[in-house]
Amino acid sequence: MLPDPRETVLVRLARAIRQRCADHKGDASMQETLVQVRGLSKQFKRDNGETFFAVKDVTLEIRRGEIFSLLGPNGAGKTTTISMISGLLTPTQGDALIGGNSITKNPLAAKKMLGVVPQEIALYPTLSARQNLQFFGKMHGLGGKELDRAVDEVLDLIDLGDRDRDKVDNFSGGMKRRVNIGIGMLHKPQLIYMDEPTVGIDPQNRRRILDTVLRLRDELKMTVLYTSHLMEEVQEISDRVGIIDHGQMIALGTVGELIQKVGEEDRLIFKVGEQPVAEALLRRIESEAATATRARYERREIANSDAGALATAEGILTVYATRGRKALPDIIRLADESSLDILSVEVREPDLEAVFLHLTGRALRD
Amino acid sequence: MLRKIWVIAYKDLYITFTDRNLILIMIVTPLALASIIGLAFGGFIGGGGSDVPVQNIPVAVVNLDQGVEFGGSPLNQGQTFIDLLVPQGEPDPENVLHQLTDAVELETAEAARAGVNAGDYSAAIIIPPEFTASITTTQTQTELTPVQIEVYASPAAPVSASIIRSIVEGFSNQIAMGSITIASTIGALTERASTDPLFGLQFAAAAGGGGFNPDFSAAFSPDAALIRIEQQSVTGETAAFNPLVSFGSAQAVFFMMFTAMAGANNVMEERRAWTLQRQIVTPTPRMVLLLGKMVGTFISCVAQVIILILALTLVGSLIAGELQFIWGTNLFLLALVILCVSLAASGVAALVAGLVRTPEQGNTIGSIISILFGLFSGAFFSIDAVPGANVISRLTVNYWGVEAFNKLSQNQTDIGLNLLVLLILGAVFFSAGLFIFNRRLSV
Repeated sequence: MLPDPRETVLVRLARAIRQRCADHKGDASMQETLVQVRGLSKQFKRDNGETFFAVKDVTLEIRRGEIFSLLGPNGAGKTTTISMISGLLTPTQGDALIGGNSITKNPLAAKKMLGVVPQEIALYPTLSARQNLQFFGKMHGLGGKELDRAVDEVLDLIDLGDRDRDKVDNFSGGMKRRVNIGIGMLHKPQLIYMDEPTVGIDPQNRRRILDTVLRLRDELKMTVLYTSHLMEEVQEISDRVGIIDHGQMIALGTVGELIQKVGEEDRLIFKVGEQPVAEALLRRIESEAATATRARYERREIANSDAGALATAEGILTVYATRGRKALPDIIRLADESSLDILSVEVREPDLEAVFLHLTGRALRD
Repeated sequence: MLRKIWVIAYKDLYITFTDRNLILIMIVTPLALASIIGLAFGGFIGGGGSDVPVQNIPVAVVNLDQGVEFGGSPLNQGQTFIDLLVPQGEPDPENVLHQLTDAVELETAEAARAGVNAGDYSAAIIIPPEFTASITTTQTQTELTPVQIEVYASPAAPVSASIIRSIVEGFSNQIAMGSITIASTIGALTERASTDPLFGLQFAAAAGGGGFNPDFSAAFSPDAALIRIEQQSVTGETAAFNPLVSFGSAQAVFFMMFTAMAGANNVMEERRAWTLQRQIVTPTPRMVLLLGKMVGTFISCVAQVIILILALTLVGSLIAGELQFIWGTNLFLLALVILCVSLAASGVAALVAGLVRTPEQGNTIGSIISILFGLFSGAFFSIDAVPGANVISRLTVNYWGVEAFNKLSQNQTDIGLNLLVLLILGAVFFSAGLFIFNRRLSV
């Protein structure tokens, strides 16, 4: 079936996510816990001597073979949480177990199961891509033919096989990001942690990276712990999401579960130009359109870019419905009967942005 | 564990030695330094060369020697030294001592010391009244007794003072050797005469008839003995005093400290670039990470010192006109000193790596430490006149390293204490650095 051109990207993404969740439901390995985080806290001291919790009492489980994302605004505590899980920071309280190995009591065993892709481009610029991979491969205990094979496989996976002997310094930002990711997966870890791997790169390379993340799970059967402040990519790739704010986990579950949890509805947004919308039409939509719960109309002033030109107004009809797609034909019919010309329509299914807004009272990007 | 230490060290060395700018600095700096030192002190290492760039060292000589009667004639060894050092009339162009010094004979020791204090002379040589008596065997005195020639040196002119000290040592050694030769010759003849009556009669007849005229002059002044500036080593071998070694080694250790500090700073650079954190999340103990970095630093230090030693040797040989290895004959001990100095410097670097938080801090603190160490070990000027400086200098890697290099160049082998102290300094600094580094990374 061809996709409906009126569907937004988000609608398509949400559907893909639901499909993927359904696909994974029957996978027994997905139910096995790989990472257990118990009451993890980290206290820091400010310059003035005051102490504060960057992360407070975070508890979560990550199942084997899933992509688990930590979503939150910048400074929410995502990187601190991950730094404790990966053994970079010592927790003030709590512990994290990777494959049953405590990161505080048995760090070397826990680290063997872990691959890290930091937010920074953590590479040696004067070494080639191959040399960087070889060095970190050796640090993970690889050697000889096993190392050569792993390096070749990763170079192939990140699509840099033909540039392997070039200095990293001569690479574009996206290529460096790919090498950065490649190092994390080189030793085929059971858990790979990726901290905002798409920051500051162009859409094409961003797409490649997201595809690589999906391949890690689907083809290499790795568990991925992903952090981002970009709701769209988290929503696209994640099996489960933990929303973190001010150092605390405020929600955790699949995208669908989170949306359901906060009781958000679909929004249908109609642009009607300068035409007024009668109150009677709003009441008819609420009562006659399938699954519609409420309708409202507002006029927005649109600033004109030409100096001296008059500002124009735009009418927006917003309808809330539990199943927006089902309400859509009824609304179009009622508008037609009221001689209201609809200029455009957009169906917005509830997303993580809405969930975050609902939970914190502010937008994710604030 | 060892494999990972080498992996880290090799990576650092590869990055260092494939950096053209860094290589240029590592080679050009020692070569330039060696050339400068060589040009400054070239005349001293040229063997019989007459071109002496450092010359006319003002020196006061006081002869208080009262001499003795020897074979019916007065003998005054102090005067012999005066005659040799102080030109009678115009300086002899063939006499290197006349070129090297501008010696003036004074009457009293007080006047000579006052002249040095006033800066008129770089040093004063005061020959004591009992000098000849102490080192001459006569019928009444058959035993030689130790005697000291005082060299009153100005701290403001350390090079000149050390040259004068060497001249005096050379002279007194020569006199002592001559006296010992005479004493042992006469002793042997007397002993043989007492056991061999026939020889005793022949010897008595020769002595009585004037036929016994042994020439001991060679024992006192073999042709080059006083032209060369020499010090007597413990083992009895003679070795040339060489300012190129003294200043070259001080500068070598000084520059090596900078290389070590660059290694410490590299830890901070890696932390900023997140490549250090990336290594920390591998199954590698933190001690191994720091050890790997320090092994890389250690090898860089060794390489730099070797390059500088070879460069100074090259310059020294060019000036001398022949291949001269100026660092002594004990290559094994020389290698040991290089290794221990580099180890101690790497230990200091580990401590700095543990203490600093940013590369900028590392640069500043590393430079301060390098300069202070250099300063207190006399890399720039003598610190003899600074109260307490000699004690502080013993806390520096530079002091023990430079002293060991100097001893080796004079073929002295008593450097056990130097090696021990360097090893202890390296171990203590590294342990402290590792402890702090580990704590800081865990925060």
